[in-house]
Amino acid sequence: MRFRFYKHRFIFFAISIVILLSGIAGLIINGIMLDIQFKGGSILKYTYVGTVDAEEAGNFVEAALGKPTSCQIQHNMAKEEQMLIVNLANTEAITSQEQQTVTDTLAAKYPNSDFELSESLTVEPFIGARFFKNGILAIVISFALILLYVAVRFRNIGGLSAGTMAIIALFHDAFVVTAAFIVFKIPLNDSFIAAILTIIGFSINDTIVIYDRIRENRSLMGRNVSPEELVDTSISQSMSRSINTNIAVFISITIVYVFAAIYDIKSIKDFALPMMFGTASGCYSTICIAGPLWTMWQNRKRKKAA
Amino acid sequence: MRSIGLYFSFMIIGVMSLKRFKSKLVFFIVLLIVIILLLIALFGLQTGSLHLKGANQMRFGIDIRGGVEATYEPKDLDRAPTVTELEAARAIIETRMDALNITDRDITTDKTEGKIIIRFPWKSDESYFDPQQAVSELGETARLTFRDPDGNIILEGTDVKDSSAQISREDGTPVVVLNLSREGSVKFSEATKRLIGKEISIFMDETMISSPTVENQITGDTAVITRIKSLSEAKSLSDKINSGSLPFSLIAKNSNIISPTLGSGALSVMILAGEVAFVLVCLFMLLYYRLPGFVACIALALQVVGQLLALSIPQYSLTLPGIAGVILSIGMGVDANVIVSERIKEEINSGKTLQGAINSGFHRAFSSVFDGNITVIIVAVMLLIFGSGATLSFGYTLLWGVIMNFLAGVTASRLMIQSLSEFPFLRKPKLYGARRKV
Repeated sequence: MRFRFYKHRFIFFAISIVILLSGIAGLIINGIMLDIQFKGGSILKYTYVGTVDAEEAGNFVEAALGKPTSCQIQHNMAKEEQMLIVNLANTEAITSQEQQTVTDTLAAKYPNSDFELSESLTVEPFIGARFFKNGILAIVISFALILLYVAVRFRNIGGLSAGTMAIIALFHDAFVVTAAFIVFKIPLNDSFIAAILTIIGFSINDTIVIYDRIRENRSLMGRNVSPEELVDTSISQSMSRSINTNIAVFISITIVYVFAAIYDIKSIKDFALPMMFGTASGCYSTICIAGPLWTMWQNRKRKKAA
Repeated sequence: MRSIGLYFSFMIIGVMSLKRFKSKLVFFIVLLIVIILLLIALFGLQTGSLHLKGANQMRFGIDIRGGVEATYEPKDLDRAPTVTELEAARAIIETRMDALNITDRDITTDKTEGKIIIRFPWKSDESYFDPQQAVSELGETARLTFRDPDGNIILEGTDVKDSSAQISREDGTPVVVLNLSREGSVKFSEATKRLIGKEISIFMDETMISSPTVENQITGDTAVITRIKSLSEAKSLSDKINSGSLPFSLIAKNSNIISPTLGSGALSVMILAGEVAFVLVCLFMLLYYRLPGFVACIALALQVVGQLLALSIPQYSLTLPGIAGVILSIGMGVDANVIVSERIKEEINSGKTLQGAINSGFHRAFSSVFDGNITVIIVAVMLLIFGSGATLSFGYTLLWGVIMNFLAGVTASRLMIQSLSEFPFLRKPKLYGARRKV
């Protein structure tokens, strides 16, 4: 059985372009939200009882600190808790002394609400920017080294073309993950870097398994076979592996997401949801993008030679 | 890795192939090793001086179990702090954390940036504990005082210009040498005259850090504290004394506080999700790949156990991104086993004998597992080099996951399948998912 991936390549390219465009549309509509881990600023979360007006609380804190403050109220269905989120994202990071002022102000203004600190994060803008830069640097250098490694290890199937197409597939998947963050309005933070890296890991592994089959079939099937036949055969042969591995991974991530959703654990939910899209994309980009693109490159090279 | 794997296989097969019985034994030996490692990973191991910590003593990042992370820097200082100043500042924090009974802590000094980073858990039984206040107080200027037995203050921190740990020229024992200011030496001379044979206690805030006995009157501007057990103890005392003249207090502009209730909820949910996912993946492998699937489950268990040990033995903190690294490597582990199982099935279908199919299945699957793993290792190592905080922990678990994948998914799986295929009732092609008879 041989699936004809190459023949239908333009359908796949179209699908990817549609996904790409909807990601860009999401970007224009929602914009990129950097979490304060990267942007800098402060956020304090308190649990409380009774009723509190977010705007009023924000004004109290602003008056006490002399810094622009916005407050939000969040209800957690699973734990039956209500939370007041104090955001000082547009200012410099605040010190622990200033944090105490926030806590004391809230306790004094709402003596019956039993305010308790649940979480606080404060990051100086330049530190956040450096974290972000280092994360991106790690990703970029990994890409370069992967390109080099694939070029050397897969030199008998045109290493440079194979490496380049693998990187295109990686960008594709990294973009899908980023788009998922943007479309679902999840601010970019540590989980974003972790999710991107995980997907890069899965995706490059997927691509290499297919390349390995192409490399093997190249020696088995001989030089005369067309790149199209070579790629379609290789992808078809490793089809059940591609499906089974991705089912296993997808099941795992979905379970993590479902549990996080039931117990309403935001940090894990924000990580697992983009990962679900990423794993699907990783499998798709290998079969439908990297393979056909490599074939096109090889076909052109043949035409030039002839 | 491959050559080691093959070497082991050949070694074991070479010795044992004389008798099939022995070859059958290999599976049980591998299984036994997995079970022993699993038990160590779960409960730890303590024999004599060897103490391996298990998952029950695993350290978790503050995002999982709740805690405090704060980066201190000098307040209103227009130059970079010197190494001595940083060490004195660190000594203040250490002494105060001791006073607060925070023993499970992690303090690092960043000398190039002039910063001190602290991390400690916020335990759920400390409901009265106020982490914001603790972060503020840890960084405040230390008040160093020398007091006589009645509690009267003789000297203050600013009276000591500096102190250093040295080895005494006379008897080679560690000592702390204090250089006093002019005013300080006058006060000290008067006090030591009055207190010969009595103790002068040195306090940081309200914590006593040393209590030497006055042997004779000290009239010059240097005082020496003797009878210190080790040089490191002398160093620690000297750092603490230096904190008295530290020209700045510390503030934490970068901090992260997570309450234990928020943290522990995440941990138990992740453990549950991990268990459910593991069971479902094993069921899937078992139903789809039968015998190789069964072996894959044991290999996966071995891989996860190896990762747990890599975290718990060196007491490396597991964080949420670290768990992401574990998930990724489990995915890689499943993949290695799927590739091998598929290849064995293909080889049987193409007409090879069972033994031949297993051997060439592993042989052919190896290059793809190897290249896949190496590229992931590249990503992991880049993270360990360039990463900070969260990404570091991701890189660490991922790197160990891939190393364990070589050992478990490639070597251990191979040993187990080869061994099991010696049993006549386990030789049916159906058990390997193949269509034809061998």
